[in-house]
Amino acid sequence: MDWHILWQYRAALWDGLVTTVWLSALAIVGSTAVGVLVGCLGATPSFYLRRLTAAYTELLRNLPLLVKVFFFYFVLSMPTIPAALLGLVLHQSAYIADVTGAGIRSVARGQLDAGLALGHGYWQVFRYVILPQAVRIVIPPMTTQYVAVIKNSSIVALIAVQDLTYQTQQINVETFRGFEAATAATVLYVIVALGIIGSMTLLQRRVGVR
Amino acid sequence: MTDQPVDLRRAMRSPRVKLLIWRIGCGVVLMLALRAVLDLDWTSVAPSWLFLLTGLGRSWLLAIVAITAGGLAAAPLALARVYGPPGIRQAATALIECVRATPELMIVFWVYFTLPIVTGNQVTSWNAALGSLSVIAAVYLAEVFRAGLYSVPRGQSEASAATGMSGFSTFLYVILPQAVRNMVPALIAQLVGLFKTTSLVYAIGVMEFFRSITVTNNAVFAPYQLYLVLALGYFLSCFAITRIVRWYDPKYQLLE
Repeated sequence: MDWHILWQYRAALWDGLVTTVWLSALAIVGSTAVGVLVGCLGATPSFYLRRLTAAYTELLRNLPLLVKVFFFYFVLSMPTIPAALLGLVLHQSAYIADVTGAGIRSVARGQLDAGLALGHGYWQVFRYVILPQAVRIVIPPMTTQYVAVIKNSSIVALIAVQDLTYQTQQINVETFRGFEAATAATVLYVIVALGIIGSMTLLQRRVGVR
Repeated sequence: MTDQPVDLRRAMRSPRVKLLIWRIGCGVVLMLALRAVLDLDWTSVAPSWLFLLTGLGRSWLLAIVAITAGGLAAAPLALARVYGPPGIRQAATALIECVRATPELMIVFWVYFTLPIVTGNQVTSWNAALGSLSVIAAVYLAEVFRAGLYSVPRGQSEASAATGMSGFSTFLYVILPQAVRNMVPALIAQLVGLFKTTSLVYAIGVMEFFRSITVTNNAVFAPYQLYLVLALGYFLSCFAITRIVRWYDPKYQLLE
């Protein structure tokens, strides 16, 4: 064991961590926007919208993320970062759409009926009655999804985006100190994941079900 | 005459007509897709069909062996986490959570690159792939098993304690059969996830489906055709497993 190697490569590890964090942050924002939109559309009474969104999630969930990222990078010849980002967003948006849909459906149907009976329009009921309740329910499963984004972002190392996993491989190639590098990267990944879990727990305390 | 459009509108609103329109729409899209696929030049790809099929078979083999081995390892982990004495319980929890928080690709690299450094023996990439996928399967299945054990209402164990059954026979004859029944859909969902995860061992050079596609592409350069085969191979495999879940429990919502 030679842990000094980590100090020697601290700049590389730091760069990798920064890349991983901002890539994941963008992917989280993007996949939440797309996923919540698709999930909400899928929870409307419209038959065709439900079928279309179901097809979207079914298609994207049954393909590995690696396939999507390589498709954008090699087949469509996109630059590395947009290819990685698009792959991550598309992949996770399908899961987030499912989580959102399940959250909306879990708000009791009686709430919708009561709102409609009071003479509100569908969108009014959706916006002011169902959505606020669904947001609270959805926070814990959403945390799982965001942690999954962090974990999945390691795949972009395979198309040479210089994230944490990529830097680990570089250290391994240059010094054969794979064990130390992998340990450091794992610890850093766990810290980022814990950061997400912690902030989502805070959010849950603020707005969630008590 | 004036009734005509109104009737048509009403007819469009009936669920059966909607389903029919949806199916026709899907049919048209599929036909267009099929025409586009047939327009591609398949002569360069066609000779590799057996190679690609072998790759797909290897992916299936990896997934099935890993979920079996992982299941065997997950059972004691889950039992330790649920019923273990205080020290062991926390240790099992920490182990499961740490591995679950680590990216799957990092686990693959860990087993392939750092296990030889720790133990001193060389690991073949195939064994490293099986090992890392088994580790991944084990921790996720441990959580499935735990959820399954918790899904049995507490009243069941209290009732069997009241009738004088021992702790062990309560577990074996009352808790376990119900837990297993509740677990099956989540188990199959894990198999879908694991099948997709097998694509990661591409990184350590195992010739599974994804790598066999990229190798073929490097040789004949037909990215559109090969990526179509790739997408279809993964989609149909995972879709088949998903359908098995629906067949087992039509009400089950598949959430990994």
